[in-house]
Amino acid sequence: MQIVKLKLPAKRAAVRDPRHVVLALSGLCLLLCVVSILFGAAGFGIPSHIIFWQIRVPRTILALLVGGGLGLSGAALQGGLRNPLADPGLLGITGCAAVGAVAVFYWGLAQRFFPALPIGGMVGAGLGCLLLIGFAGRAPSGPSLILAGVGLSAISAALLALALTLAPNPFALAEITFWLMGGLDDRSLTHVALAAPPLLVGGVMLLRVGRRLDALSLGEATAATLGVPVASTLRLIAAGTALAVGAGAAVAGGIGFVGLVVPHLLRPLLGERPGALLPASVPAGAALLLMADILVRAAVLVLPVSQEPRLGVLTALLGAPFLVAIARKVAP
Amino acid sequence: MRNAATFTVILLMLMNFMAEPTQAADWVVSLNLCTDQLLGLLAPEKIAGLTPLARDPAISYISEAAKAFPIVRPSAESVLALMPDLVLAGPYGAQATIALLRERGVPVLQVGLPQTFDAIRAQLREVADVLGVPERGEHLEEEMDALLDAAPPRLQPPRAVFWGARGQSSGPGSLGDSVLTAAGFTDVGTGRRMALETLAAHPPDLLVVPETPAFPSLATDLLDHPAVRRIPRVVVPPSLIICGGPWTALAVRLLAE
Repeated sequence: MQIVKLKLPAKRAAVRDPRHVVLALSGLCLLLCVVSILFGAAGFGIPSHIIFWQIRVPRTILALLVGGGLGLSGAALQGGLRNPLADPGLLGITGCAAVGAVAVFYWGLAQRFFPALPIGGMVGAGLGCLLLIGFAGRAPSGPSLILAGVGLSAISAALLALALTLAPNPFALAEITFWLMGGLDDRSLTHVALAAPPLLVGGVMLLRVGRRLDALSLGEATAATLGVPVASTLRLIAAGTALAVGAGAAVAGGIGFVGLVVPHLLRPLLGERPGALLPASVPAGAALLLMADILVRAAVLVLPVSQEPRLGVLTALLGAPFLVAIARKVAP
Repeated sequence: MRNAATFTVILLMLMNFMAEPTQAADWVVSLNLCTDQLLGLLAPEKIAGLTPLARDPAISYISEAAKAFPIVRPSAESVLALMPDLVLAGPYGAQATIALLRERGVPVLQVGLPQTFDAIRAQLREVADVLGVPERGEHLEEEMDALLDAAPPRLQPPRAVFWGARGQSSGPGSLGDSVLTAAGFTDVGTGRRMALETLAAHPPDLLVVPETPAFPSLATDLLDHPAVRRIPRVVVPPSLIICGGPWTALAVRLLAE
């Protein structure tokens, strides 16, 4: 009798300890912080006191906070909606946040009452989440959720253009590229103070849904028996996303694809469990956005451009190929 | 003798057809903010219509007076309905309207965008002549020269830059540059966008910014960034420097103080 040798499947790379990954990514963030502080339009080197505190520090902190918030909300959305294409930008939530921020900024509300700016962004993002669930239904399949997101993105972009056309200041319409594609140029410590509290609160909310996401990944019915109802989990994710993405879009404009790319980059290292991805997605998103911001500053010094390219352009250049690759796997 | 006379008459008639309108116009429409202001100062009684921009206090020097002047939308239909003797226009904008008006035989005078005070003087004379009021043109020119001469000369011109919305700076050969030089400064603008960090790293002695508009935008908020708040600054109403004209000398006086 012949012994047939069974062909075993290729051994999967061992899943790393999440704490090690978080530590390594945080170290990367620290390194990028140092580069970001030393680098800017005034050249490479230790900056003067004013440039350090008023320009480089706000920019670096915002890149970390907004990037971390975007990465975290992307991971939470992908886990909660059980859809590998979920991303606050793609689903139109960032666009709605931008509309809210624009409505508050260009009509002078944010001048009189500073916190109105992130509040406008958060209200916009919250409405966006509600509309998304409304369009897509309670248990949306992969494609139908993305379609709802595409519709919401289109509506929010149109509303954004309309709001900017009607704005009282004649320079407003030219600023549409900032609101559609984001940017961290000329931000100040005021913006950090405005965006940091909601970003941190939203981040904490999203970090706490890890166990619920793990239960959800077993299926809705099983999760319900474990005491994790889908509706309340989605509400928590929506609230955390509205806070983090809303405040981020209000000060940094519409940056997309960070939330899409970060979980996919982390899955080979940390496995498929959504709860494991959440803590690592914060430093991963922060590092990604900070890297993009440094590149954008380098572009001014290297290319013959009079102003920095938009941040969203770089993240889209990275994220769009990802999107195509993932979409092929999901719906071949 | 008769041939010579005929020849001279024919030559004069040809010259009349070829030249721009030679007799003074009495009923004039303006299609451009800059010509609005010139018309409003030189010959307000001859105005058939100005653009709606003339009444905007943020950009027009004659906004108060323009409330009494007739306004016309810069379209060929509305302009033709007024049957003007002359239409004043700028080099850009309303091209299709101007072409239509010329086709209908309406005389159109297109003036340029003066960037230096000499160019402003030349344009003032040209427009005043066409309007048939050369003495008023001379009067405005004298007032402008008086303001310019009043600016004290400086031994070591301090460095200054016009920093406008979105960081746009005055460059060599521009109107802002002429104003700064006339006020006794050295213009350190590049003519292109000047980044916030560049300004903070090498601050000029004086920053000249336009007045903050009533409503914010990212472009105009940039001028208030904390990084450049320490640089001494002078605020100039944009209505004085959007168009080059005798009122631009008032900007020089503001800076010279």
